[in-house]
Amino acid sequence: MAAFKHKEPRQASGLMPRSQMPLRTLMIAMTVMCYLACLAIGALVLITRAVNDWSSDIAGEVTVQIRPTDNIKMSDKLKIIADILDKTAGVSSYKILDTKAGAKLLEPWLGNADILEQLPVPRLVAVSIDQKKLPDFDKLGAELKSQVIGASLDTHRRWQAELTRMGTSLVRLGVGVLILITVSAIALVIFASRTALDANRQVVEVLHLVGASDPFIARQVQWQFLKAGLQSGLIGVLVGMATFILLGISSGGPASSGLADASYGLLIGTLEVTSVTYLLFLLVPIVATLLCLVAARLAILRILSNAI
Amino acid sequence: MNRPSPIVSLQNIGLRYGKGREVLRDINLDLEPGSFHFLTGPSGAGKTSLLRLLFLTKKPTRGLISMFGKDMATLSRRNMPKIRRRIGVVFQDFRLLDHLTTYENIALPLRVAGQKPKDYRDNVVELLNWVGLADYADVYPPVLSGGEKQRVAIARAVITQPDLLLADEPTGNVDPAMALRLLRLFAELNKFGTTIVIATHDSHLIAKANRPVLLLNDGQLDYN
Repeated sequence: MAAFKHKEPRQASGLMPRSQMPLRTLMIAMTVMCYLACLAIGALVLITRAVNDWSSDIAGEVTVQIRPTDNIKMSDKLKIIADILDKTAGVSSYKILDTKAGAKLLEPWLGNADILEQLPVPRLVAVSIDQKKLPDFDKLGAELKSQVIGASLDTHRRWQAELTRMGTSLVRLGVGVLILITVSAIALVIFASRTALDANRQVVEVLHLVGASDPFIARQVQWQFLKAGLQSGLIGVLVGMATFILLGISSGGPASSGLADASYGLLIGTLEVTSVTYLLFLLVPIVATLLCLVAARLAILRILSNAI
Repeated sequence: MNRPSPIVSLQNIGLRYGKGREVLRDINLDLEPGSFHFLTGPSGAGKTSLLRLLFLTKKPTRGLISMFGKDMATLSRRNMPKIRRRIGVVFQDFRLLDHLTTYENIALPLRVAGQKPKDYRDNVVELLNWVGLADYADVYPPVLSGGEKQRVAIARAVITQPDLLLADEPTGNVDPAMALRLLRLFAELNKFGTTIVIATHDSHLIAKANRPVLLLNDGQLDYN
């Protein structure tokens, strides 16, 4: 008998041939899914932040509007209003806007400010509210109405409600998009699992015949899907983060305002915002990995249960 | 003296593919532990179909199969691997895994059974030597000849010393000397208690072995 000493390879070969796995296609599709998920999450954070900021801005201020009347001087009306506001608990400060400022507000709709100054434009008082100790708006409105003819209180509640409604709808839309992405990703993994088993039908049959159980065979395949999910998730998130930074930089960077500033601030900004963003972005590869692992395992076990 | 209960029992077995005629009809067969049978018959008589029933890749359209005292009709899918690990199978078309080396192909049943590489290395090496493939341990099946592949397939089937060995034309691709050598390997295994069924057309091999023959003719079984 020939003297023969076999050296065990450092790592035994995988029982499923890797080259026949449709993993590259799955990885590309999963990377796109993770990227889209990242964009949806970023958009959700931006919308939530914007709605919160706008709501708190609106909620922190009310406006007293005074229509000019023939019999009482505007200055007398403003004096009474100032007295009432001084006595009202919960009013932090107020600012009486002069005629020019009032006219300027109407300029976008009515045109030249010089002509507006000659028209009987209502005067406005911007009132800042103590958010911790809100005044009784109904009582304040009634008092202003009874003591000053033509005065009315605008609490911006209608706007606030509209804004909240719009924000909630957009958040629901974002969550809906995330759910669709997840469902599509699950369908992709199931399809890839089926293709992987079809491509390795003979290997699966041999494994069954030498006594491999269905969970054993599923284990041989699922770890490759797990790796594909993790890699796709990481690449998708990195590209997603780069997109938000590029969006910020290309539109003027942090010094600018609007979407550019908000996009930039998602990742490079105050800890309060960035921690939420990074945490949510970190969830993408974790969810992608778990999704690949669980969906592939369940799909494989289901397919194998119909095999010999 | 009580006869030992059969390791395999087939009662009134019938098998048809789709809506075609029955390829196996009224098969009744008891294989006692430690028995050694040849299964022979003309081409198309149903040898491979009968073996498929025995290595559980096909279910009969009628009749009962019992293996190791268990009714296969009621055996749960979860318990199927335990039965299969007691059966060694040699396929006519070898069914080696092309991405695994000769060594890894032979070690496959042990790896599937959860044994550690260091525990089975010596056994695999010994068997590689026995089938004359020691120099091909790290070679992949696509570069092996038909006879070499056949020997790897046989080594994979016997590595676990199964209770039942089913072989479909195991000597079809080897020269007469190697065929006799393999027959000695089967006889050796049989001596240690393995029940053996070899499907073959090789009348010389059957004559040399001098063992009972199961003759399949047009889907029906005769003892010879």
